[in-house]
Amino acid sequence: MRLSELQPGESALVVRVSGSGPIHRRLLSMGILPGTVIKVVRTSPLGDPVVYEIRGAFISLRRNEAEQVEVEKIVPLHLIPPGSMVKVIMVDGGMGFIQNLHKMGISPGRVIEIMKGCCPMVVRTPLGQFTIGRGMAYRIYVR
Amino acid sequence: MLIALAGNPNTGKSTIFNALTGSHQHVGNWPGVTVEKKEGFTEYKGKRIKIVDLPGTYSLTAYSLEELIARNFILEEKPDVVIDIIDSTNLERNLYLLTELMELTDRIVIALNMFDEAKKKYRIDVEKMKKILGIPVVPTVAIRNEGIDELLKEAVEGKFSIKKPSYPEDVEKRIKTLESMLKKYKVGHERWYAIKLLENDGDVMKKFQRIGAKDIIHQAEHFRHEIEDVYGDDIETVMASFRYSFSHGLFHEIAEPINVGGVTITDMVDHVVAHKIFGIPIFLVVMYLAFNFVFEVATPFQNAIDLLFNGKDLANGGEINGLIDLSYYWMTGFMPSWLSSFINYGLLRGLAAVLSFLPIIMLLFLILSFLEDSGYLARVAFLMDRIMRKIGLEGRGIISLMLGLGCNVPAIMSTRALRNERERKLSIALNPLIPCGARIQVFAFLTSLFFARNQATVLWSLLLISFATVAFLGYIYKKTIFKGEVEPFVMELPPYRLPTLKGISIHMWEKSEGFLKKAGTIIIGAAGIIWLLAALPWGVEYGSESSYIGQIAQFLSPVGHLFGLTPQAIISLFFGFFAKEVVIDSFTVLFENREALMASMTQLQAFSFLLFLLFYTPCVATLATVYRETRSKRFVVFVILEGLTLALLFSFLAYQIGTLLGVGG
Repeated sequence: MRLSELQPGESALVVRVSGSGPIHRRLLSMGILPGTVIKVVRTSPLGDPVVYEIRGAFISLRRNEAEQVEVEKIVPLHLIPPGSMVKVIMVDGGMGFIQNLHKMGISPGRVIEIMKGCCPMVVRTPLGQFTIGRGMAYRIYVR
Repeated sequence: MLIALAGNPNTGKSTIFNALTGSHQHVGNWPGVTVEKKEGFTEYKGKRIKIVDLPGTYSLTAYSLEELIARNFILEEKPDVVIDIIDSTNLERNLYLLTELMELTDRIVIALNMFDEAKKKYRIDVEKMKKILGIPVVPTVAIRNEGIDELLKEAVEGKFSIKKPSYPEDVEKRIKTLESMLKKYKVGHERWYAIKLLENDGDVMKKFQRIGAKDIIHQAEHFRHEIEDVYGDDIETVMASFRYSFSHGLFHEIAEPINVGGVTITDMVDHVVAHKIFGIPIFLVVMYLAFNFVFEVATPFQNAIDLLFNGKDLANGGEINGLIDLSYYWMTGFMPSWLSSFINYGLLRGLAAVLSFLPIIMLLFLILSFLEDSGYLARVAFLMDRIMRKIGLEGRGIISLMLGLGCNVPAIMSTRALRNERERKLSIALNPLIPCGARIQVFAFLTSLFFARNQATVLWSLLLISFATVAFLGYIYKKTIFKGEVEPFVMELPPYRLPTLKGISIHMWEKSEGFLKKAGTIIIGAAGIIWLLAALPWGVEYGSESSYIGQIAQFLSPVGHLFGLTPQAIISLFFGFFAKEVVIDSFTVLFENREALMASMTQLQAFSFLLFLLFYTPCVATLATVYRETRSKRFVVFVILEGLTLALLFSFLAYQIGTLLGVGG
């Protein structure tokens, strides 16, 4: 789907930035690249442009620009209600953070079960049951 | 020694520039373009250091004017040191520009600005950052002057052993090959050129085509296709991904986030101020309050300047002499009275007009820089973008148009904030059609005489006619003379910050100084010409019906009749060209009293006259500013003709239709 189709509050992972020319380059230099997590923050009075949270900053994009960004919808872990099974899509952090989560069995592709909602959360992974704090849950994206 | 300041927009770059240079700075333009160039000087242990502030950019591609200016400066002027100013609260994003700078030069000092705020967000390991990058890193808090001395010290005495970001091996191998092929062309900066050739950078490709380096262009093209095949995406995405993964990695090495997911103050403020429904009403209230503030504060200053120069008639029939009268009497003692009159009632009165503009202009710039530096203008641009696009402008365009209600001079100067040259011109073309404070003052005076019973209705109808015309013309211009490609409008909404007094006052002074120097001379010149027309032939009463202006007005009066303009009205319009509020003064010269003035025009004629006044040729100060901002005489002529055409059209239609219907006669 396209970034322009998302609603405020939803998150997505960039799959591809299509097109060419100035808009393409500008999107790239603002850090909109395959693998980037984008959250829709709010829309303007006429629904265009829209503010997105991208790499820690608020960026406003017009509809024709957001249409160039192909995305996959994802949800940060802290929003998942207890009882659901979800697939981990990405973990946003440095090597240390990624390795720590990996040791708990939380890494892209794995399926985990939510035992208790946010926060702190309790999740069951193939490697056992773990408690996850708010700071961690915000940086784990699932579907 | 030469130091360049680079960095993203909104990183406090200009605050650091101000802190480094103090008052030793100069604002000009980069050669051939209207992008502002700031230069300044400082001293370190007796060494004189020149500091140049590069435009704020997110990257160094060839696709925006600012980015080209920044990178060409580093390539060509070869600064001894580049200081990269990083907003530490937004570290990861800011590190991207650093990776590009590191490809361009070895001597970089990093300023981790807003370090105090960043500490609430992450734990940043400065020592580790120095070690990883091999260059000096200095935490700063520019608004409190913290770290500035050390920044300068590191720039002069620091040790540089830069460790450049590397690409994956297969890409790196190809960069090396291109680098060695580049040796024979002796262009310097081989690694940078190699990378840019690989990336198909428009500007660099052109450069190598010009020098006929076919071999290297072909080789780069070949490598580019290979890399695109391997990584399965276009070269720009691939290379940007490498750089971002470097900055992403670096970020996580040196910073550990604390308090993730908390609600920030900016979030809370935006929830209200950038609200889908309340956002625009809040903006209108903010502007209303801002204008109230400007006029409340400016009026006493303007009155004082007026009293100082022009004096005052007292109620008991006496008068206080102003500087102009006093200086006239004094000079008449040793020179012919016509010369003294020219110097004082022509030129000195022009100077007084320039000075009386100053309070409004300074205050409007004060408001503008406050809104800009606080981060609010970016929200306005966001809220208004879709609406303004209908008349061919981006969201920010609304600010210049609204400032026009105060004074068209700062309004036109403020169009510099529009990134797109075409939109800037369009905005300048529309601005004089917005009635400024001076015109509204004249409207208020005349409507109080001629339309005492429905004054508000007439005033509002004039404003509405102006806004509707601006919207209509904008729409037409966008489709015709100012047509162009859609350009990217990717814009960052920076966190809200309290502007510093120093930053605002420096900005306010720079702009006002520009107006005084450039527009000032033109206004004084025009004042001289108006004097000649109004005072000659020698001996007539100044500005009366027997002066040249009066004779021209008599000559034009058969034509004026079609538009409902009386000869006296035409005379006043000549004076209004000098400064619109002078229209009132010229009526006081032409008529004994208010009753005589009221008897000279019917209501219909008065209304046609008001319409004419609304649109006709902007005042000299505005024209001088249009010239200063566009550097095009043709554009000035265009603005004059545009205004005259509209004025003639509207007053003709109003007068003729009114006469036919028999209203207001």
